[in-house]
Amino acid sequence: MAEKEYQRLTRAKARPGLAVALLTRSSLWLGKDHLLVIDSNGFTETYKRFYFRDIQAITVHVTSRRAYWNWLLGIPAAVFALGGIPYVLLNPSAGTGAIITVSVIAAVFCLPLLVNNLFGPSCLSRIKTAVQTEDLPSLNRLRSTRTVLNRIRPLITQAQGEITAAEMLVLLREPSEALKSTPMGAATQTAMNQEASSEPQT
Amino acid sequence: MPVLWPQCSNCRAFLSEDELNQSEPRPCPACKTPILVDFFPAYFRPPAVGQVGERLVLEDEASCFYHPEKRAAQHCAACGRFLCSLCDCELQSQHYCPNCLETGRVKGRIRNLENQRIRYDQVALSLAILPIITVYFTLATAPLVLYLVCRHWKSPLSLVHRSRWRFVVAAIIALLQIAGWGVVMYFIVQSLRSANG
Repeated sequence: MAEKEYQRLTRAKARPGLAVALLTRSSLWLGKDHLLVIDSNGFTETYKRFYFRDIQAITVHVTSRRAYWNWLLGIPAAVFALGGIPYVLLNPSAGTGAIITVSVIAAVFCLPLLVNNLFGPSCLSRIKTAVQTEDLPSLNRLRSTRTVLNRIRPLITQAQGEITAAEMLVLLREPSEALKSTPMGAATQTAMNQEASSEPQT
Repeated sequence: MPVLWPQCSNCRAFLSEDELNQSEPRPCPACKTPILVDFFPAYFRPPAVGQVGERLVLEDEASCFYHPEKRAAQHCAACGRFLCSLCDCELQSQHYCPNCLETGRVKGRIRNLENQRIRYDQVALSLAILPIITVYFTLATAPLVLYLVCRHWKSPLSLVHRSRWRFVVAAIIALLQIAGWGVVMYFIVQSLRSANG
């Protein structure tokens, strides 16, 4: 059997914002020498390729999306599961139909709540090349993102060569002094230093 | 070319050295958001410098097809024309002239330049299934589905979903719909005949 050209890294996941309404879904695939991002609305697919040799950085920051969903689903889940079900069970006039109805409604909120927490913390991932910085909507959970990063990191290193932490810092430090001398850079650096110094030492 | 000091992707504050290339997310010094930053050597690589092509020194030297006054450095992998350094477009170790690159992109001959595809198999399947909700539309959509299946059977599928099962299912559903309409028509004609005596 012929080897597949692309291997799936993530399942298709909705793009945030308005795109959800337009049913645009994004997935990530691993090619021989590149990552392939597919945005699909079901009838057309748009491709973006990120060659391993061109990837400069991948940044991931934890977001509060999981917490929002927990509140959104948790409140009605609690109302129906902790309030509704005991109420119909203890109420002698409530029939079997009422118990089933309340249980189904509770399950409608409880199951997504459970899934939301099983997937782990949510995050936003970005990939940077020399000419663009793109969001990777399919890498929206920290656990799966780290799995994917662990898989592609050696491939990027293979394509670009390895750089030690010390070498990287040397390369970063020299030109950044010029950058930090700009008003905005200096202001941000000062704020950072102040914040760092104001932290209690533990 | 100055290298931009890495910033937090959430608040744009400059990150400290401790936050870079760590295996675990570290809090951003400014916004405290846990952040994972992986930097690769390409970040420090200066951008590639374009070349303008060398001028011809001797008259009998091969010259560029598009710039006759410049020396040929490569030949196009698609059309074979000589190209100077300015016209040479390298893609995956192959050299193309700008025209062939554009043609390859438009006609899908160079797969790695393709950035969009229509999924005709998905269109056909949706067109076969969705009109079932209002049965009457299937009279028009079923032949259309068969046309789509025949017309686009060999059209490129998705880059990653390479099976034609959607076409097959769509064609079967469309044939069933047509057969159903045939049966309905038969009974209508029969009832009209019996009514006329």
